[in-house]
Amino acid sequence: VISGRVGHALSALRRQTFAFSLGLTVVLLVANVIADSSFARWSSVPLTLATLAPLALASMASVPAVIGGGLDLSVGPLMSVANIVMVTVLLPHGLGNGWLSIPIILALGAAVGAINGALVSVLRFPPVIATLCSLFVLLGAAQDLAPTPHEAQANWTNSLSDSIGPIPWALVILVVPVLLWVILGRTSFRRTLYCVGDDDVAAFTAGVDVPRTRVAAYALGGLVAALAGLALTGVVHSGDSSLGLQYTLIALASVVLGGTPLGGGEGGMVGAFFGAATIYLIQNLIDALNVQPAWLPVVYGGVLVTAAILGGQFRQGAFTSSWRNRAATRAT
Amino acid sequence: VKLATSTPDLESAAATSVHRSGWGRVRAVQRSAPVVQLVALVVLYAYGAATLQGFTTSTSIKALLVLAALLGLAAVGQTVVVLLGGLDLSIAGVITLADVLFAVLNGKGWAFLPDLAVVLAIAIVLGAVNGYVCARFRIQPVVVTIAMGFIATGVAQVQVSNFTIGGVPHWLSRFSSATSTTLGISVPPVVVMWAVVAIVTGLVLARTKLGRRVYQTGSNPRAAQLALVNTRRVWTGAFALSAACAGVVGVLLAGFSGSADATVGTQYLFTSLAAVIVGGTSITGAHGDYWRTVVGALIITVLTTLLLGHGYSVGDQQIAFGLAILLVVAGYGRDVRLRDRV
Repeated sequence: VISGRVGHALSALRRQTFAFSLGLTVVLLVANVIADSSFARWSSVPLTLATLAPLALASMASVPAVIGGGLDLSVGPLMSVANIVMVTVLLPHGLGNGWLSIPIILALGAAVGAINGALVSVLRFPPVIATLCSLFVLLGAAQDLAPTPHEAQANWTNSLSDSIGPIPWALVILVVPVLLWVILGRTSFRRTLYCVGDDDVAAFTAGVDVPRTRVAAYALGGLVAALAGLALTGVVHSGDSSLGLQYTLIALASVVLGGTPLGGGEGGMVGAFFGAATIYLIQNLIDALNVQPAWLPVVYGGVLVTAAILGGQFRQGAFTSSWRNRAATRAT
Repeated sequence: VKLATSTPDLESAAATSVHRSGWGRVRAVQRSAPVVQLVALVVLYAYGAATLQGFTTSTSIKALLVLAALLGLAAVGQTVVVLLGGLDLSIAGVITLADVLFAVLNGKGWAFLPDLAVVLAIAIVLGAVNGYVCARFRIQPVVVTIAMGFIATGVAQVQVSNFTIGGVPHWLSRFSSATSTTLGISVPPVVVMWAVVAIVTGLVLARTKLGRRVYQTGSNPRAAQLALVNTRRVWTGAFALSAACAGVVGVLLAGFSGSADATVGTQYLFTSLAAVIVGGTSITGAHGDYWRTVVGALIITVLTTLLLGHGYSVGDQQIAFGLAILLVVAGYGRDVRLRDRV
């Protein structure tokens, strides 16, 4: 009976789009602990979470646009702009405290996201082109505001790697978008978004306001990207315009790794979190094994391709189902 | 010969026949030739000629053509990949790898041809793996090519950290110099090379069985497969071509700068894609050709030169670049209205 229940629970989990990245995260966690036992110490958890936060938030920020059938290449640069506006504009003008800076930065992010959404769904630019253009504009803005890395004054984001009581601050900031996503799951918005991403024409015929849904999705992504920018400020303690481009690429990779295929209508934010965790843990493992740093991108790219292949096979059920099921999957 | 009449095209044709306005006719012409892009190119060039001194001298025209040739060559494979409905983000990494590897091997005393052969072979293998993995396992090319880009950049970094000395043969530096001549004609060799490659690519895509397979696969992979096109081989070949082009550009850039540079590819990360898109090849596949990419590469190079000439900061250049792409694409590349797709 028990094994039956476990089996049921496992097969229910397997049906989740994030199952594969969750499994990878667990395996990599174990590998990290074996490679460096201090990784498992409770005192190091807040710092670990704080360094994971920018990447995890960036990949969660890429999710809503992808589910809606689009793509947002501007997540990394937007994050960079949020980071630089915080350091070079808000802090010197005395607007750096949490009560003022958080709403300002988040509003900025949501506004940029909404502009992306309007370009895509109201002005009907293909998503890759619209967000490629905003990528260039945002990179340019970041470059103009901080041509060289700009040291940040002491501010509230520095404490993101500490904890309040037993709870690490970084965990709080990571939970915000997940909570938002869960709350949105109670409204019609999230279901509508999956519909739009799956088949926008059908959604339109069914009376869904497709442009509004998409603008909202991009705005939500922008908001989370701005949050990622704040988390980044807490890690690097400076405003640096050179970080944006890399984050876009890695975030996109972790979204797909987390079971949200480009194309829309499938996936979710939890998967993106585990996708990002996978990538972060791979990096961490390479560091712990003292591999020459120049090899890092090589290992990293190799693991990414392998994980993407295995993830794809996993979704098609290649590892568990019988050959007959597999043949059926292939036929569909 | 365009076999590219997939559903969206038929639908948009239906849409234009409903509103048979002047605008509809413009769009019909636009579909067969990059009119908006050519107008944009002429306007940008005329603006440069009117506002910048020395913009029209033969030296600066040649310098402009050299830069456009490098971009255009990097975008040959990207065009084919986009026609298949894919995307290659590993071009920047492969360019860097080719640049560094070529200079390092040359510094070790390798002769030109074996050096070039090794560099191109490695590039082609990386590209073929890209295409094969995407087609065989049905994974989005974005992920695979990003990963491959990381691998290529990483290998280049390892090379640079191990051997700092590198070099290139002198004649290769002359190859992409704006002041050199080809067989006595005062055109830089790299520009002549680009012209030849453009003509060959254009003809192969438009007139051969190979080209038709690309359009078939891009417009409907399953239909192509049922028509006995080996789509997996088409994908592998297209990505291998893209990496080979990136390899050639990497070697040319090593000649251009005279030494190994581990950051040289970064500028081509998105500009090779931008050249294809601005040219008017559809990102969803099967619509477009290499001629459009040639125009796209020229537009981007003229625009960059223009902004540089007017003394804008790097940041302002990027902002203007983004807005300009949006403006050019607004002329022809917007999606069909949802209500017209029902």
